[in-house]
Amino acid sequence: MDGGMSYQRFPKVKIREMKDDMVKFELRETDASVANALRRVMIAEVPTVAIDLVEIEVNSSVLNDEFIAHRLGLIPLTSDRAMSMRFSRDCDACDGDGQCEFCSVEFHLRAKCLTDQTLDVTSKDLYSSDHTVVPVEFSDPNDPGEQRGIIIVKLRRGQELRLRAIARKGIGKDHAKWSPAATVTFMYEPMIRINEDLMDTLSLEEKRTWIESSPTKVFDLDPVTQQVVVVEPELYTYDDEVIKKADAMGKSGLVEIEAKEDSFIFTVESTGAIKASQLVLNAIEILKQKLDAVRLSDDTVEADDQFGELGAHLRGG
Amino acid sequence: MGKQAMGNIAYNQLRRMDTLLYLLVYPQRPLLTTKTIELVGYDKLGAGQNATVAVMSYSGYDIADAIVMNKSSLDRGFGRCIVMKRYSVVLQKYENDTQDRILRLDRKGYGAKHMRILDDDGMASPWEIISPQDIYINKQSPAFTRGTRVPPSELPNIRYKSSKQTFKGPEGEYCVVDRVALYNDRHNNISIKFLIRHTRRPEVGDKFSSRHGQKGVCGTIIQQEDFPFSERGICPDLIMNPHGFPSRMTVGKMIELLGGKAGVSCGRFHYGSAFGEPSGHADTVEAMSEILVNKGFSYIGKDFLYSGITGCPLQAYIFMGPIYYQKLKHMVLDKMHARADGPRVLLTRQPTEGRARNGGLRVGEMERDCLIAYGASMLIFERLMISSDPFEVQVCRICGLLGYYNHHLKTGICSSCKKRDGMSTMKLPYACKLLIQELQSMNIVPRLKLAEA
Repeated sequence: MDGGMSYQRFPKVKIREMKDDMVKFELRETDASVANALRRVMIAEVPTVAIDLVEIEVNSSVLNDEFIAHRLGLIPLTSDRAMSMRFSRDCDACDGDGQCEFCSVEFHLRAKCLTDQTLDVTSKDLYSSDHTVVPVEFSDPNDPGEQRGIIIVKLRRGQELRLRAIARKGIGKDHAKWSPAATVTFMYEPMIRINEDLMDTLSLEEKRTWIESSPTKVFDLDPVTQQVVVVEPELYTYDDEVIKKADAMGKSGLVEIEAKEDSFIFTVESTGAIKASQLVLNAIEILKQKLDAVRLSDDTVEADDQFGELGAHLRGG
Repeated sequence: MGKQAMGNIAYNQLRRMDTLLYLLVYPQRPLLTTKTIELVGYDKLGAGQNATVAVMSYSGYDIADAIVMNKSSLDRGFGRCIVMKRYSVVLQKYENDTQDRILRLDRKGYGAKHMRILDDDGMASPWEIISPQDIYINKQSPAFTRGTRVPPSELPNIRYKSSKQTFKGPEGEYCVVDRVALYNDRHNNISIKFLIRHTRRPEVGDKFSSRHGQKGVCGTIIQQEDFPFSERGICPDLIMNPHGFPSRMTVGKMIELLGGKAGVSCGRFHYGSAFGEPSGHADTVEAMSEILVNKGFSYIGKDFLYSGITGCPLQAYIFMGPIYYQKLKHMVLDKMHARADGPRVLLTRQPTEGRARNGGLRVGEMERDCLIAYGASMLIFERLMISSDPFEVQVCRICGLLGYYNHHLKTGICSSCKKRDGMSTMKLPYACKLLIQELQSMNIVPRLKLAEA
């Protein structure tokens, strides 16, 4: 960096909870723009594989072809390979028709109901040509042994469904079916300071009603000292209810609540297409690629006059 | 539910052959009902979807009752509908014992590319994708249908003219022949009905409504990542402008939002009558607020949201919750219309009127007045004359009547003076020339007095 001030910061991540389909982590020492960029990339730009083309051979079910095709598209497929796959539109092996092994995966479905009982056609009936890309498996938390698929259509006696489907790589920006994120959200970490002197002026009953006024259980009464303590600051939803209550009780300034501008608590839930932890890592990778694209483009070099320090900063000052 | 709302029509909806049938792909049962709705069984057939609505202003594309929709919700099937349209063809019998006939398709030659979807029997086969200009029945009618009876032995030799039916659907859309039915009508003619299906996702300009008469069109469709979100991860399906409330006083809609939110939080359908019911069945606003608080929401139903664009908190708490939204059958696809050049009315030579006739858009009296006030005289001239019905006439300067142009002598002639000289060529609207001649036929003589310009 040529003498100018650097704006670079080194965000810290602390993982709180990590399951296959859910991750909760803290992101500190950065600002809303970075946190939001990460969130946006997770929703819209992390690639997955989803069914994109359906050729129906026989469909005598009650749902029409487009209906079934739409439902098939929304089934999450395991997409750990998606990052290294090619987009069909820039695949040179198949000239963009999107039917080659490098950019697509073929599925087959054959189901016919032969009994009097209704047959559920589920995502488990989809046979993939590639064992790495298969419909996501869901198990009942009460009965982990049994795997349940996503119901595509129900068939009655004599009805039949036979189709061929092609799954392709894509991103959530083009269609929500390619979005690996079920929920991606963050909140600012709240800083709660109780004015102990003022709090001591409250009677026990008043303390209780004040604690009750918060819709979420942020505060509690210490059973020993009878003092109000903050039990779970993150449950606070910035609803201002306790502040309003304090004002109504004539005790303005009883509690001060601020949002820490540089700490975020992220909750990421995945559809199952990729692990939630992988989703975060992939998002960071894509964000890096996007920044590289900005940094390496000639435009930013030319724009140095215009942006000066910022331009150099973008190119890694 | 209502007359214009889409949803389930009846349990036999897919066996029917209605002229026009609008169905919703994923209809839902309303979260907030009333006892009456249940008694009547109105909730047995879904007529809309429970959309998470945020009452806020967003992007400016939501003013004047427009709504902003979430693209991801649309991708996942919100507001998706199936439009089924029936086309009937009758094989008519005529008084001379002749009859319409269906021809097998022509696989080669002129017009074969529009006969792709025809089966060997000359009718479109079910499940085929049909595009505009495609022929769905290759029918022929006898050239002569009146007069003396044609003996049966002569029938194969009579002349036929083509009367094949072409599909005139929306351009560039994916329509499918859903079903083909053959039957005899009451005159014992063979009739064929084609049911053509089209699945549509909502687009800008489609009309939606809640159950409180709060209708509005979709103003814009925005990506999910740009939509506001709460720290629980809730993101609305649509955004409605708060200006819809004060003047219309739809308190019921706010109660519905509150009751719906309480309903999804505790997993029970609520009753939403405004004043409670004598039986005590209805849930009061207080009871709903209580549930909301128990589930960690604010008692007034407002949420703390973050902007999806910047990631910063929004300055106000947003009233957000589920409201039952109906898709109405007025869709832009059926209404949009534009014309550059096109058909004209025979009598006046002016452009035709209406979308069905590919008509022009009229610059009416009021629009004309605006242009006069603005002083755009050349624009008025262009719209009212050049783009409408310009016509060249020969006017006799002596008698002031209209003459005609003689192509042999290459000159204008006045038919009343019987003279060639003193003729002038001028342009006027064909409708004006028509008026002059119609007046003449009523014994009123309009005379044009020409002056040097």
